[in-house]
Amino acid sequence: MKSMTSVKSALSAAAVLLALGACAPGSSPDGEPAADPNAPVQTGVPSGSVELKLIATPESGAAMKDIIPAFQTKHPNVKINYVDTTYDDYNKSLNLALSSDTSPDIVLLNAVGTTVKDQLILNLQPYAKAYGWESAYPAGQLNQWRVAKDGTTLGSGDLYAAPASFSQVGLFYNKAKLKKLGIAAAPASLEDLEAALAKAKAGGETPLQLGNKEGHASFPIQLIGQSTDGPAAYAKWVFGEGGATFDTAGNTKGAQSITDWGTKGYFSKDANGIDLQGAVDKFTKGDGVFFVDGSWDSKKIGDALRGDAGFVPFPGPKATAIGTSVAYGISRKSKNAQAAAAFLDFLRGPEAAKASFAQGFLPSDASTVTAEPGTISAELVAAWNKVNADDGLIGFNNNATATMNDTLVAETQKLVAGKSDPATFIRAVQADWAKTHG
Amino acid sequence: MADGLANSAAVRDRTVVASATPVRARRSRARLVPLLYTAPALLFYAAFVIAPWVHSLWISFWNWNGIGVATWAGLDNYREILADPALRLSLVHAFGLIIFYSVIPIGLGLVLAALVANVPWKGMPFVRTVIFLPQILPLVAVGSVWKLFFDDDGPFNTLLREVGLSDLTRAWLGDFTWAYPAVGVVGTWVSTGLCFLLLYSGIGKIDPALYEAARLDGAGAVHEFWHITVPGLRREMSVAATVTVIAALASFDVVYVMTGGGPGESTMVPGVAIYRLTFTAGQVGTACALAVVLSLLTCAVMFALNRLTREKA
Repeated sequence: MKSMTSVKSALSAAAVLLALGACAPGSSPDGEPAADPNAPVQTGVPSGSVELKLIATPESGAAMKDIIPAFQTKHPNVKINYVDTTYDDYNKSLNLALSSDTSPDIVLLNAVGTTVKDQLILNLQPYAKAYGWESAYPAGQLNQWRVAKDGTTLGSGDLYAAPASFSQVGLFYNKAKLKKLGIAAAPASLEDLEAALAKAKAGGETPLQLGNKEGHASFPIQLIGQSTDGPAAYAKWVFGEGGATFDTAGNTKGAQSITDWGTKGYFSKDANGIDLQGAVDKFTKGDGVFFVDGSWDSKKIGDALRGDAGFVPFPGPKATAIGTSVAYGISRKSKNAQAAAAFLDFLRGPEAAKASFAQGFLPSDASTVTAEPGTISAELVAAWNKVNADDGLIGFNNNATATMNDTLVAETQKLVAGKSDPATFIRAVQADWAKTHG
Repeated sequence: MADGLANSAAVRDRTVVASATPVRARRSRARLVPLLYTAPALLFYAAFVIAPWVHSLWISFWNWNGIGVATWAGLDNYREILADPALRLSLVHAFGLIIFYSVIPIGLGLVLAALVANVPWKGMPFVRTVIFLPQILPLVAVGSVWKLFFDDDGPFNTLLREVGLSDLTRAWLGDFTWAYPAVGVVGTWVSTGLCFLLLYSGIGKIDPALYEAARLDGAGAVHEFWHITVPGLRREMSVAATVTVIAALASFDVVYVMTGGGPGESTMVPGVAIYRLTFTAGQVGTACALAVVLSLLTCAVMFALNRLTREKA
């Protein structure tokens, strides 16, 4: 009797498995096959009332509260509903939102990720042609959002997102402290910077403010790496081009610098326990002469340090910056792609540029905005112009693969704590990259 | 007569035939009734525990990012778990947490319960409430508060500075050596109240005559504790161990909120690794494989625990 029951339950378990076996998890994306990228599309806003849903993160979407009303004033038949979610939650839920039946129309893209491979977002190439985006933006600014046919290699192929504004990671510094230390100007080369760090240490200051709880030591490593290796060569790895490697002279130098600076006590021994906002708070309170961070924090730093806040591109032979655009894509499930595209086109206009700049984000063409001289905004524009002149804007290493951010967090923490060395660091980072881009 | 006999035989036969059905029916009904009572619970258990588990097991044999089309992976996901040192380490960390979630709380709970059991104390209900409080707080809130406590500018470092131990201050959760015990301490804080209450109520059920007899034989308080209290609480200890060991192996919220697994991988536990594999890496198959391995290990530990604490028949 007992064996009968177990036979029965085994059979029913097998039946369940067989029933499940009929379908593999997931399903091919429903809807029609990808539209012909060369098919003509309509520009402008269609007539009749249109409702669009736009999702973003609070930081990147900050300017939307000014941009959306401006667009709606121009096109009263369009209503845009704006929803934002914190960065971490946003990235984790974006793909699910795009694949759901209640998909938003316009979405902020922090990285391409698997959105193209899984056919979640619309190929914008037809709209790029129709609106003339390709001649309006410098090629480098659009390349981050071009995806090759394989769905993972970036930098070439069709366009999948339209940039609204840009952020740049560079070197913030405290002018009052430089003066006190007797340093005449912001450093122009890595040697200058190291000399200034040494001087600051001797002068009893915290030379470099660093918060590495979220892995931000990867910023100086990448900045030293890309200015040493040259932006064009460095970008290949970030874009995931086959055969690229993280094992370059520049990255080795970057990782070695972090190790050395740690040994010399140039940053807090507690760096691994401080997050980025904690580091910003410390820097604005005068803890730290230099601070590597993005322009998104410039408003906070400028408001606190006023005239003492300085910003330059990270010192090196070429003016380079880590940066990406705040870019928006359109869901493949959107029923109002035409209106959504019209909104994306509006994002490169002067009203949108002004609203974004007020939040610390730079427009594609910096001449469209004016910054008050002597403010941090003016220094951001000056740095932006230098970086663009050297074609030195490179995407974040953190976006090279879906897991790269986690890998960089863990590996830089080991490096900062002295639990690892530059060679081990580079091997671990390359191993993650090779899993995706082989 | 012969007729009567034949008749009665026929009657008997008929009765046998007739009664055969009711007996079997009664028996099967007797078996069905308890099943019927458990049916609602069983239904929910099957729908929300067994079915998802089987589904996870199924997904663990596929390469799937949660959205797109899956491809058959066979045992590749399991091989990946065994090959990845970081994932293996997360399992080791989960087992290490048993010390903080189970061993220390049960030890502390035993001592506390034994100490207060014999002393009638007015403030007892209040103390009981306070000790049990961590159990009813959401773990995310608990984690957030402890994170602030261990912050580099947090109360713990302030306390150390006040008492002249400023050399010891550090960002505890960013320290490769101290982050893990700091996370573990929270588990101890949460579990101790539950263990104490379970054991305290268990002591009340121990026959007072045993203590009397021991005292007559000249046993001291320590002897009483080891030879009467501890063996008498075997069943309660087994319940406490079951609940807390599962909490340790399945830990997620506290670690996720406090360190996210860092610095490096020094506090990574399977719960956080599964979450990351699913939502960041898009490796749902590998995540399910890790979840299956974790659930099987948990079952194995529970089996061993039941064997160990089973009363000798």
